[in-house]
Amino acid sequence: MAFNRVRLAVALALACFAAGTSAQAQTIKVGIIGPFSGPFAHYGTLFKNGAEAYIASQGGKLAGKQVELIYRDTGGPNPGQTKTLVQELIVKDKVDYLGGFVFTPNALAVAPLIQQSQTPTVIFNAATSAITEKSDYFVRTSFTLWQVTVPLAQWAAKNKIKKVVTAVSDYGPGIDAEAAWKSEFTKQGGTVVESIRMPMPTTDFAPFVQRVKASGAQAVYAFLPGGPPTLGFVKAYNENGLAKAGIQFLGTGETDEVDLQKFGDAAIGLTTSYHYSGAHDSDANRKFLAALKKKDPKAVGNYAVVGAWDGMYVIQKMIEATGGQKNGSKAIAAVRGLQWESPRGPVRIDPKTRHVVQNVYLRKVEKAGGQLVNKEVQNFGPQTDYGLQK
Amino acid sequence: MRVVANVLVDGLAYGMVLFVIAAGLSVTLGLMRFVNLSHGAFAMIGGYGAVVLTRDARCSFWLAMLAASTATGVVGAVLEALVLRHLYRRGELDQVLFTLGLTFFLIATTNALAGPQVQLIELPPRLAQPVDLGFRTLPAQRLLVLACGVVVALATAWVVTRARFGIWLRAAVDHPEMAAALGIPIRLVQNASFAVGAALAGLGGILGAELMPLEPYYALKYLVLVLVVVSVGGMGSLLGSLVASLMLGIVETASKYVASEWGSLFFFLAMALLLAWRPNGLLRPRAAA
Amino acid sequence: MTVEIHARASRCAPPWRGSAVVLTIGLVAWWLLPDQMGLYTRIAYTALFVVSLDLVVGVAGMPTLGHAAMFGLGAYAAGLFALRVHADPTTGLLVGTVAGAAMAAASGAFVLRYRGFTFLMLTIAVAQIAASLLIRGRAWTGGDDGLTGFAPAPLFRLFAFDLEGRTAALYGLGALVIGLYVARRVVDSPFGLAVRGIHENRARMAALGIPVIPRLLAMYALAGGLAGAAGAISAQTNSIVGIDSLSFSWSAEALVMLILGGAGRLHGAIVGAIAFTVLHHTASSINPYHWLFVIGGALMLVVLFPPKRLWIRLRDRFRPFGSGARTSTSEAR
Repeated sequence: MAFNRVRLAVALALACFAAGTSAQAQTIKVGIIGPFSGPFAHYGTLFKNGAEAYIASQGGKLAGKQVELIYRDTGGPNPGQTKTLVQELIVKDKVDYLGGFVFTPNALAVAPLIQQSQTPTVIFNAATSAITEKSDYFVRTSFTLWQVTVPLAQWAAKNKIKKVVTAVSDYGPGIDAEAAWKSEFTKQGGTVVESIRMPMPTTDFAPFVQRVKASGAQAVYAFLPGGPPTLGFVKAYNENGLAKAGIQFLGTGETDEVDLQKFGDAAIGLTTSYHYSGAHDSDANRKFLAALKKKDPKAVGNYAVVGAWDGMYVIQKMIEATGGQKNGSKAIAAVRGLQWESPRGPVRIDPKTRHVVQNVYLRKVEKAGGQLVNKEVQNFGPQTDYGLQK
Repeated sequence: MRVVANVLVDGLAYGMVLFVIAAGLSVTLGLMRFVNLSHGAFAMIGGYGAVVLTRDARCSFWLAMLAASTATGVVGAVLEALVLRHLYRRGELDQVLFTLGLTFFLIATTNALAGPQVQLIELPPRLAQPVDLGFRTLPAQRLLVLACGVVVALATAWVVTRARFGIWLRAAVDHPEMAAALGIPIRLVQNASFAVGAALAGLGGILGAELMPLEPYYALKYLVLVLVVVSVGGMGSLLGSLVASLMLGIVETASKYVASEWGSLFFFLAMALLLAWRPNGLLRPRAAA
Repeated sequence: MTVEIHARASRCAPPWRGSAVVLTIGLVAWWLLPDQMGLYTRIAYTALFVVSLDLVVGVAGMPTLGHAAMFGLGAYAAGLFALRVHADPTTGLLVGTVAGAAMAAASGAFVLRYRGFTFLMLTIAVAQIAASLLIRGRAWTGGDDGLTGFAPAPLFRLFAFDLEGRTAALYGLGALVIGLYVARRVVDSPFGLAVRGIHENRARMAALGIPVIPRLLAMYALAGGLAGAAGAISAQTNSIVGIDSLSFSWSAEALVMLILGGAGRLHGAIVGAIAFTVLHHTASSINPYHWLFVIGGALMLVVLFPPKRLWIRLRDRFRPFGSGARTSTSEAR
């Protein structure tokens, strides 16, 4: 027994020593929260690709400091578990920054934690407008539904589309999308003939697509979370002959690059309004895609990867501004009004809402070089988060 | 009227998929009284097998469908003979725990081998086309599902009522001791029916891949649906499973058409009412042991 | 159905012994691990939830996959109470307990008339119906996005819920200790014995004049109350209630934890809850992609090589002069 106690004491001493040395190494710790298992696990990989590719492109360090990325798996929309994970990251791992977040409930759950601990948190994906209002330490580099929907509604009205049916998933961003469309489209003189809400667990979209067909609208505006639901809905749209019936597809992220090739030629002509296309013609985008391919030749660049890429840029600026020390308010103050050229186009962090102001593009799916791409046919110009302006 | 036609077509297709997957579980539960919660994993294995065969081995869809289902059946037979049969004597909770653990393990294996994203089976061009039936355009694949479902239903009905194996099966389900005493090879019947059930599940996974997308969590996600069908239809009753899956498929589809904000409420309400009315299953008037 | 009639010695043990052990270990752990308070609180309410499940599955012998409905109802009730009425945590805890018990009583009146597989499926249906209704009532419950915007007031008006989660952890521990005590008292009482008797042989109990369904309903309602309490704690300490709190997977996980630790003895529920939660947490942080391998493999191993047999063998080694008969009924055919 005594021998064991000696062993224990030595082990404890070594552990303390190790802990002490690592504290002096000045590593910036960033916690990345996302789904790494479950049906949305692809988001975890996309975040990882974007974040690590960015750090590699900066030579392995951000603002001269070593950065350690700590990944935590939320599994899906699981606010209780997310809160526990983030609490541990803040209290035990003592992270300096947080990034990630795919689902609204998970982001909402950690708002009180980051507010109290003053931990700047960059949202790489979650798209409900109200999130950034819940804490002063949220910064968002993704998009919101109002931001990408309002210009699309204006475009539709201008292009003689008068009757539209909306079909959205029944959750925060989906309801935001429906509200944004209704508000702007009716303002422009159009009518929303039916508002279909699809439960989140739906996998068979044929009934909803049939309802769209029966509604008598000229177009369907759809929003679903990326991954299996989006794939299922677009396939159902294609396979049930809606395009032939004359009902145009108006969407946002449904044709994203991760699943785009799976639709086949049936997807050609689908119209979407979004902030990032893999086919965006700019040097910044080419550099971004090259860095991604260097990290993993099979990696695909889409809105989530760009969200992580730009998110790490924002974190880099925050590290610069605070000199590597943990100072939440100084960090947030430094990025208000920050402007830069992102792979998606020119962007700016709105000083009041801490949400990204960016160009939104009208895209049509085309075939280029044997692959399907989202070709940007029109630039709506810089859009703010209209959802917060009310 | 159009809505009714739509509901019928989509509901029957959905119900057929559920039937094909659930048939095997119904037999396993009724025959061996073995709570096999890894049944959903067989559907998943069949589906993924078809994906690999059509995409990587460039097989034709029909060949892949046949090969993947058969392979799943073989996997089931091996699993049953080596591992699962030792659990027949254990309590239900042990069976639940083991098969759940097996399901988790298979989910993790699928994730490790194929990645977390949804996999699509490459359909031959004829099946991928929409077909115009006059009142409704639907993907040709749905017609295939309906046709296969009918074939499976008829085939199983024939086997159960006419073939010797079916007679052995029914005897073993109704009175296992008596059947054994009469010289019916119970072990063979158990293994063979488990294997066939697994193969059918695999086939269901392939047919239903459009309705129930293939991804690693498939095994757990659709487990509840299959359990519902089996419980409502009655353990061991194939006809019961057919009727239950068609009815529930139509209810679920109807609610999607008419009352989608209520989610799966009507499905489970219908299930609860049916179970309350016929606790031992729709078509099993005798009390289950 | 595996039932173990444990040694007479443990049944004669004072009812506060289990709670005292849990309290001691809990306080020591709270002292030693100040960085893990989030996980600690999670373990506390999970353990309470699994103990309540043990009352239904282990004691009353009715395996259920819908117990999360009581947990979820308790969570939503406590959350709504904090949001719209008053943020005092102990009152909210009471509200959650009552909500869970009411849900159990209402659904039990219908489902307890059935047994075995039918009962199991009906409990799943009840939970899913409850979940659908809660999602529909989006204006009240936040639907798929969850109920947010509330935070608990200081406990006993003295101890604020701090960032590190120390108050929340002690709050959870306290509830677990009290819940365990109540469960132990009930299980060892004549009522509890009657329910165990119903589990073992329903017909015989009915012949003895015991009203079977009312007894089961009372136990079900009590279990529902404890589950609702666990849900209330999760709502208050997380400041958010998601629809996942009623999900099938949460019910299934709790059942797995219970079987892992051993059903029927109450402390098995706590052991299982701790083991599973810690295993999940550790495996998940080492590799978020592949933690399911670990869990799946562990479950299969536990069934093939049951730790109960090893535990009994160990216990026999240290108590060669066994106090009373040590009978364990063999696994049911």
